[in-house]
Amino acid sequence: MSHLHEERPGTRRLCMGNEAIVRGALEAGVAVAAGYPGTPSSEIIETLSESAESEGLYVEWSVNEKVALEVASAASFAGLRALAVMKQPGLNVASDYLLHLSGSGTRGGMVLVSADDPGALSSVNEGETRPYAKLMEVPLLEPGDVQEAREMTAWAFELSETLRNVVLLRTVTRLSHASGTVVMGDVQETEKRARFTHDGFIIDPMEGVVMSPPVEWKHGQQQEKLEKARALFETSPFNTYEGPENPELLIITSSVCGLYSREAVSLLKAEERVGILKLGTTWPLPEALVKKHLASAEKVLVVEEVLPFLEGEIKILAAESAGEIGVKQFFGKKEGNLASTGEMNPDRVVGALSAILEIPYEGLEAAYAQRATEVSFMGSPNREATFCPGCPHRASFWSINTALSMDNRNGFVCGDIGCYSMAVLPAGFSTLKTLHAMGSGTGVASGFGKLSPFGMDQPVLSVCGDSTFFHSILPPLANAIHHRANLTLVVLDNSGTAMTGFQPHPGLGVDAMGSPAHSIDIPTVCKAMGARVSVADPFEVATTRETLFDLMDQEGVGVLVLKQACALSPEKKRTKAWEMSVDESACLGETCGCNRLCTRVFACPGLVWDKEKGTARIDEVVCTGCGVCADICPVGAIRRDVAESV
Amino acid sequence: MEIRGGMELVRDVLDKGLCVDCGGCVGLCPYFRSHKGRVAMLFDCNLEKGRCHAHCPRAEVDLDAVSKKLPGGHYTGEPAGRFLRMVKARAGKKMAGRASYQNGGTVSSLLALALDTGLIDAAALTDRKGLMPRPRVVTDVAGVLACASSKYMASPTVAAVHEAVAEGFRRIAVVGTPCQATSVGQMRCDPLDRSETDPVALTIGLFCTWALDARLFSDLIPDGVAPESVTGMDVPPPPASVFSLHTSNGTVNLPLETIRKAIPDGCRVCPDMTAEFTDLSVGAMEGDTSWNLLICRTEVGDALVEMAVSRGYLDTTPMDPAQADRLMEAAAVKKARAMEKARDEGGLNSEEGASMFRLAPAVVDKIMGRGAPTPGAREER
Repeated sequence: MSHLHEERPGTRRLCMGNEAIVRGALEAGVAVAAGYPGTPSSEIIETLSESAESEGLYVEWSVNEKVALEVASAASFAGLRALAVMKQPGLNVASDYLLHLSGSGTRGGMVLVSADDPGALSSVNEGETRPYAKLMEVPLLEPGDVQEAREMTAWAFELSETLRNVVLLRTVTRLSHASGTVVMGDVQETEKRARFTHDGFIIDPMEGVVMSPPVEWKHGQQQEKLEKARALFETSPFNTYEGPENPELLIITSSVCGLYSREAVSLLKAEERVGILKLGTTWPLPEALVKKHLASAEKVLVVEEVLPFLEGEIKILAAESAGEIGVKQFFGKKEGNLASTGEMNPDRVVGALSAILEIPYEGLEAAYAQRATEVSFMGSPNREATFCPGCPHRASFWSINTALSMDNRNGFVCGDIGCYSMAVLPAGFSTLKTLHAMGSGTGVASGFGKLSPFGMDQPVLSVCGDSTFFHSILPPLANAIHHRANLTLVVLDNSGTAMTGFQPHPGLGVDAMGSPAHSIDIPTVCKAMGARVSVADPFEVATTRETLFDLMDQEGVGVLVLKQACALSPEKKRTKAWEMSVDESACLGETCGCNRLCTRVFACPGLVWDKEKGTARIDEVVCTGCGVCADICPVGAIRRDVAESV
Repeated sequence: MEIRGGMELVRDVLDKGLCVDCGGCVGLCPYFRSHKGRVAMLFDCNLEKGRCHAHCPRAEVDLDAVSKKLPGGHYTGEPAGRFLRMVKARAGKKMAGRASYQNGGTVSSLLALALDTGLIDAAALTDRKGLMPRPRVVTDVAGVLACASSKYMASPTVAAVHEAVAEGFRRIAVVGTPCQATSVGQMRCDPLDRSETDPVALTIGLFCTWALDARLFSDLIPDGVAPESVTGMDVPPPPASVFSLHTSNGTVNLPLETIRKAIPDGCRVCPDMTAEFTDLSVGAMEGDTSWNLLICRTEVGDALVEMAVSRGYLDTTPMDPAQADRLMEAAAVKKARAMEKARDEGGLNSEEGASMFRLAPAVVDKIMGRGAPTPGAREER
């Protein structure tokens, strides 16, 4: 498939939402893009990096989201169009800078894409981007489908240059990762020439110092920009209405909820009774437009995901305008028609609509639904989320859990975000006992590590990935070392940002565009900071365990870097270090002395329990030949032979 | 003998603090491990019956069944168990001075002979690294001598028996404290029918009033004493009331009262002072530390002693009856006190749920009646 920048204007192509955003940015002549990987946003920077060389772009995976926004904004200050990309929790990381950036204003078009994950499909939160627009006083755009994602992104750069401030564009999982037909637009030919002018009058926004002071004056400017945006939004083609002139019920919605609303209205055949106002520009609200539509109906249902952001703003507007438009009856989250948690979907909207409009609707025949539940419950095995076959994390947590159990002081591990978050589950032997934001495991551990004066005598461990190490471990690690906290940090170094697709990070010798990069050695950094540092291969379970004992028994901060590439990493694909086999005559199976340790507890998908024979066997298709199970077997029934090179 | 699984063992013994780290459950499977003097279950095992539970000297011990296996005959509740005779013993001319024995060197001398004659092919003993006891399988006299002297720390020595079995040894000697000997006795009863042959050829018991939790003990020793510098340990006879730690920098005496804090709770319910379920039992001879007190319980044990004397491995001499009386008195006190504590904790012939010990009610009455606790009774090792 051709690269997105090669598509001619007017051609149609099936695009993922994230690709549509990329195309929009390319059409707008973006010059610099920076982000940190995070589902569902990762494909944007990845796809842009494919066009970097031919289009003369600079694209980077930054160390974290705050730095990504800083890097991108520098391009804007130098007059270029720039894009920063992150998932919503990353926006929290970047928010300190965003507060100051929105105060200083920008020069070249500056767009910040933040991807929400309602329902936490690939997250441990349902963080919201939209309230940031209000909090930071910047305009917010929300594409409602894939085509809009392209068009809105391209327009966002223009809007940013009109206002001279950063524009926030919010996408969600079901838009970023869904595909639809996109008609390509024109690619603007822009001269990508960077020059930072800083010697004009000190408070001149285009030639002076880029800063938020003098605060009151700049803040006033910022609010004027927002009013300007509101005026533009009143006539924006991204705000659409479909339905009767005076609907019985007015739905006001945004983002993919527009699609859910249309589907629900269609399912209930309520097109004559319900009107849908779909807003693409949700902050600041185009008040005149919304007021006009509010005036047309008595009942209003706001359909949006997670928190009632729009609902609240529209209610304020309705209250302010009650004399003009009359008193409205509202439906939504507050009234209990729609949930404030989880993903929105057509069924939920149908449920709300059928209740409000008193239209009986049965999506699924009750008896059928009942039978389907029963059958699926009996027929499908219980499959918990688990690590891949040959995953170094399984081996690492095996050793961590073994060491903590043998140590017998009720020690525990504080964790953060990565595949290794699954160690809260039996997949990781339920070793992880706290799970929060990127880097938080080590910050929390630093706190636990100071509780001995209060009688806490449990060993404290934390884990982080190699990418997380650079993203947000350095400050809590410095904190722990400086304050002589007692903790052992285990860096699960699998040579890439594995969970999101092997994006490079500062520990690797390559950057987002494939160019050589300076790699930073994690053990050296930790040593320089003053920690005791050991490096081990997690596939060497005995050494790993003994090293952990050694680190846990000493005062202060110890760091164990467990280095082994992810089983899915490009360099490991289709390679096997070991050819594994089970000696069935030696396998103890379910008898006392083993009780299926390998298939029941270690539970690598490459190991299969043969019920008939009562022994374990290797699933050769799935097994990656890591060899760890040979060390797990108590009687040496699992054999490991050097694999012939493939 | 109600055998249950590993989860029940954790619930009924480990979680109640009754584990004495004997090692009976260690080394049989990947689930139970001992580390620094404590046993832990690493991962859940859901088997309904396991050897871990069958071997545990604090879980459903059928004292009569164990007694019948060794030394033979019913469990009668006699203070020092069933035996043939008691003598004073020490290393004979062939063995004298070959290691720094704790007392007379009787155990080392008997093991040396058993190895030299082929009665045994390996011995499960207890070595020490710093303060931490280390179970060890030895196959020669040098190994025996390296393990000489008392360790005082609760040690997973039975794990060395399992290790020796796994290595293929089938004439194994075990030297252990009463709990370890009880565990080995239960193992030899083989209630889960896992062994084709009895791999143990000789058991030598060590007198014991209590052992120490190595971790708790480590916390009690003064900061200046490096564990690596410890060369030996001893409880000098009354009225010293101290625990002596011999180090390369001299002897450090710690008050017994302090040391008692490190005694595992599991020791407080132990009804056995002389390691009754053995071929031979050996202890210190009060008032004459260059000798041991040796109890011959079985024909096998007695024959070994006879041969040891005739071949110059061992010297024996008759015992002063008063000394035997004092031993009996101390053993009776320990037994009665432990039975009472076990009963108070619901662990004696419990009809509902888990019991530590099971034995004939008449025997319980006999033990309780005979050895009512007397204030200030001596508890020295």
